[in-house]
Amino acid sequence: MDKLRRILFWLVVTLTALFLLLPTLIIVPMSFTTTTTLEFPPVGFTLEWYGKVIGASDWQGALLNSLVIAFAASVLATVIGTAAALALHTHRFPGKTIVMGLLLSPMVTPVIVLAVGMYMVFSGWGLVATRLGLVLAHTVLAIPFVVVSVLASSRMVNPSLAPASLGLGAGHWFTFRRVTLPLIMPGVLSGAVFAFITSWDEVVIALFLADAQTRTVPIMIWNQVRTNLDPATAAVAAILIVLSALGVLLSYKFRESR
Amino acid sequence: MTATTNDRSVPVKAGSSRGFRLPPAFWLIVPSVLFLALFFVFPLLKLVAISLPDGSMEYYHQIFTTPVFLRVIGETFRVSLIVTVVTVAIAYPYAYAMAHGGRAMLLVLTIALLIPFWVSLLLRSFSWIVLLQNSGLVNDFLIATGLIDRPLRLIRTPMGVIIGMVHILLPYAVLPLYTVMKKIDLRLMEASSICGASWLRGFARIYFPLSLPGVMASAILAFTLALGFYITPALLGSPRDMMIAQMIAGQFNEQLNFGLGAALAVVLMVLTAVAFGLFGAVRAALQLRGRRKEEA
Repeated sequence: MDKLRRILFWLVVTLTALFLLLPTLIIVPMSFTTTTTLEFPPVGFTLEWYGKVIGASDWQGALLNSLVIAFAASVLATVIGTAAALALHTHRFPGKTIVMGLLLSPMVTPVIVLAVGMYMVFSGWGLVATRLGLVLAHTVLAIPFVVVSVLASSRMVNPSLAPASLGLGAGHWFTFRRVTLPLIMPGVLSGAVFAFITSWDEVVIALFLADAQTRTVPIMIWNQVRTNLDPATAAVAAILIVLSALGVLLSYKFRESR
Repeated sequence: MTATTNDRSVPVKAGSSRGFRLPPAFWLIVPSVLFLALFFVFPLLKLVAISLPDGSMEYYHQIFTTPVFLRVIGETFRVSLIVTVVTVAIAYPYAYAMAHGGRAMLLVLTIALLIPFWVSLLLRSFSWIVLLQNSGLVNDFLIATGLIDRPLRLIRTPMGVIIGMVHILLPYAVLPLYTVMKKIDLRLMEASSICGASWLRGFARIYFPLSLPGVMASAILAFTLALGFYITPALLGSPRDMMIAQMIAGQFNEQLNFGLGAALAVVLMVLTAVAFGLFGAVRAALQLRGRRKEEA
């Protein structure tokens, strides 16, 4: 009885782990298939689909949009979020809990609600179908990740170092640049990576704000998945997965570099 | 270094009280608050305003009296509830194995949990389409094992939506459970078994009640997130079993009824806020209980 229970338990856990991994693991092999439909297990081996994607001008355009938008959103969110996290960490001020709540709430707001709200407001401001509009929208989504990441690494810093620097006569800016920033750098960098990935993967808001000129890679995938499923989509997915994996490794490396 | 030191002979006080009353924290926090007020809070308020033309509640009245909308809201609750129950049921043994299975097991299970966490929702839904289609791996496997003889319809059905959503929510459900479980002392179970209780009795009377806070937290979190799902049901479901997020998108994309769409969005926002408030309340109650225990 006891043994049976144990076997059953590990069976369930193993199956759950497989369930978690399966969808991610099948994408990359599928992109090498020689068939014109998506097959798993793949048939044969070809890089044709990668060539097709890399050579297509609409994918190139989308890739450029995605890179520019994710880079800009990541820089903007990192600057704004780091400043806020520093203030939250080092100072007490009235309304701190409310500010904290505001900074984190984009994380729990349903994206579709944000998407339609931004669509209505941004269309009045002429920001729909512009890269700037997407940058601003993605920055909103990314700020919470930067704040969380920078706060986590500020907590590990000796709190008397900044006052010591100020006490020795250094100014606020000097103290920030030479003392605080180097100490929280791992958190800032991993926040920046998070922010980049947030924008890079985002599809719902982009569906509302982008047009044919400003569409990003996720939009292209969305259109493909809804019309025809071909191995080229798997090739794009594989490229994105490898890029995300690199980003994640990078962010862990930043964390560990302390 | 010396130059900087010489600039200010009376350092700390001089820097912070020289004329301006506003502390540096103010200037650090202003950009983020302004940015979010303009590009986050304002769009949400705009939706509220659009949903109440001239202060009239007509759109809300329409939502809560028209069968179509009530059905979509009901369907959203139904799917979210099923997904929550399934997710927590699967997450429970998984978190248990992470909490009590030893270091190597913890590492393996954590990696299995985090890899999909890092692949975008869109790509995972795409992958499920391929897996669940009629000629997909899941149907091939079921036919090969003789469990079924004709492929099951798995995409464009509520079943497909549920599988895809459980997959995405599982990591969110496992983590709170694991946090609670790793603090439970397994010697309590040994003690109950020495006292003659069966494993089942010991589990039902000791382990499960101790893990209940984790169950609550993970269930509420999964439910809250499930309410707002858009991509997964749009790709894996059929339009017949639409969830509220799809309905909102439809009002803006196809029907062009912005007022109604905004009202639906406000309804979803309020539902999510209520569910998330519940999550906060459970966590606060737990912290209070933990503190009382420490004091005792």
